[in-house]
Amino acid sequence: MRMKLAVAIVAAGLMTGIAQLHAHHAFAAEFDVNRPLTLKGTLVKWEMVNPHSWFHLEVKDKDGKVTPWMVEGGSPNQLIRMGVTKNTVPVGTELVVEGYQAKDGTMKAVGRNFVLADGKRLFLGGSAGGVSDPSKAK
Amino acid sequence: MRHRTRSFMRGGAVALVLALAATISIAGQTQSAAPAASPKAAPASAAAGKAYKAPRTPDGQPDLQGFWTNSTYVPLERPNGVTKEFYTPDEAEAAIKVAAEREAEQTEPGTTADVHYDFSQFGLDRSQSKFAMNLRTSLIVDPADGKMPPVNAQGQKRAQERAAARKTAGGQYDAVENMPIGSRCIIMGGAGPPLMNAGYNANYQIVQSPGYVMILTEMIHDVRIIPLDNRPQPPSQVRQWVGLSRGRWEGDTLVVETTNFNGKNGFRGASENVKVTERFTRTADDTISYKFTVEDPTTWDRSWTADAPLVKTGGPIFEFACHETNYGIANILAGARADEKKAAEQKKGSN
Repeated sequence: MRMKLAVAIVAAGLMTGIAQLHAHHAFAAEFDVNRPLTLKGTLVKWEMVNPHSWFHLEVKDKDGKVTPWMVEGGSPNQLIRMGVTKNTVPVGTELVVEGYQAKDGTMKAVGRNFVLADGKRLFLGGSAGGVSDPSKAK
Repeated sequence: MRHRTRSFMRGGAVALVLALAATISIAGQTQSAAPAASPKAAPASAAAGKAYKAPRTPDGQPDLQGFWTNSTYVPLERPNGVTKEFYTPDEAEAAIKVAAEREAEQTEPGTTADVHYDFSQFGLDRSQSKFAMNLRTSLIVDPADGKMPPVNAQGQKRAQERAAARKTAGGQYDAVENMPIGSRCIIMGGAGPPLMNAGYNANYQIVQSPGYVMILTEMIHDVRIIPLDNRPQPPSQVRQWVGLSRGRWEGDTLVVETTNFNGKNGFRGASENVKVTERFTRTADDTISYKFTVEDPTTWDRSWTADAPLVKTGGPIFEFACHETNYGIANILAGARADEKKAAEQKKGSN
């Protein structure tokens, strides 16, 4: 009860006062809210470089035609701290990505949600469970 | 639509927060509990400093070296409706809980807010990593109301002139030069001085050698090499994005004064005339008290000061080669052209 009261006291202030996470750029300017998509493909290249990581996927349609896609993700620095590297998510990994396609209609997307073929959410917690010292990462 | 439970709240971090007192560090998920501290202890980090003797470098400087973060949930300005300087530990716990839940909250599919990668998947949800914490309700300690002083007439006039110049230049996505400086990878908030948490990658490395202190900022890989030999400030025509810094020791406190900014990325609306004075004091093995004062008579009629402690974190600092995969710039410009084309076709169709 005491906690509920405390939450109520500070919640209103936090709505205006909390330090916000800053996006590097306006995503809605780059990707189209009216073009949601789900891509299932094979990771062929992962650019772990700032300001955003880019995942290159090969997506095969039902006729066997392969289309290359580029999917934008977050800054890689924190992923590395969490123990997620190119070794823990190697090229060849099957991925399902939910996201939104680029406004210009090219084969680029922002990855809203990354899921492995077995249904596990990718990255969350990392292979090392969120340690901040990479020397302790597996 | 909220897909999941917060791993932060599952992970026992709540119990850690209850142990808050002075400035402590918190690991969000798996690290062991922070050193026990009495919630009744004085909340000012300086109190701990009296008993603590900082280790020394081989040449006798107080040793500030290592990897540090100023990631925090404490806002720069005191939230509206909050009138006191410090929360109780219970209130601070509640504040963190609300803030962490908001940060990890899932957005509604099909809405503009949903067009983004998931913060938590990329470790950008602050509670997933170490963050600096104190019981303050705002980082600003002066003025006493925890708010920035009002911008004076000169500052307002300059802001209006800048806004007019931006309007003349056209829309934000008409040309790459019109896009925000951070999006263009020129410099980002938090690069400093002052050191302000950028929301993510808020990590720093301090290295000392005889006569110099170096501060490396992860976001976006800016370096300040600060001489300590009392050399004069460079001439006024020499200006940099991060200004030019000169340092000195006052007892165990490193005082760094920075001027000669270029004014293109003024901190909180400051002009090129701004002077930032930073004070670094190691108050525990894992804590540096970091206070900064901002003075710019051409923007504010009075100075203002913030207290934003740094806590030890793991290294190394990773590279931030921001231009290398900044494909977003080309994609945004292409998106704007696609929008224009679509609008023109719709207009044509309706005629």
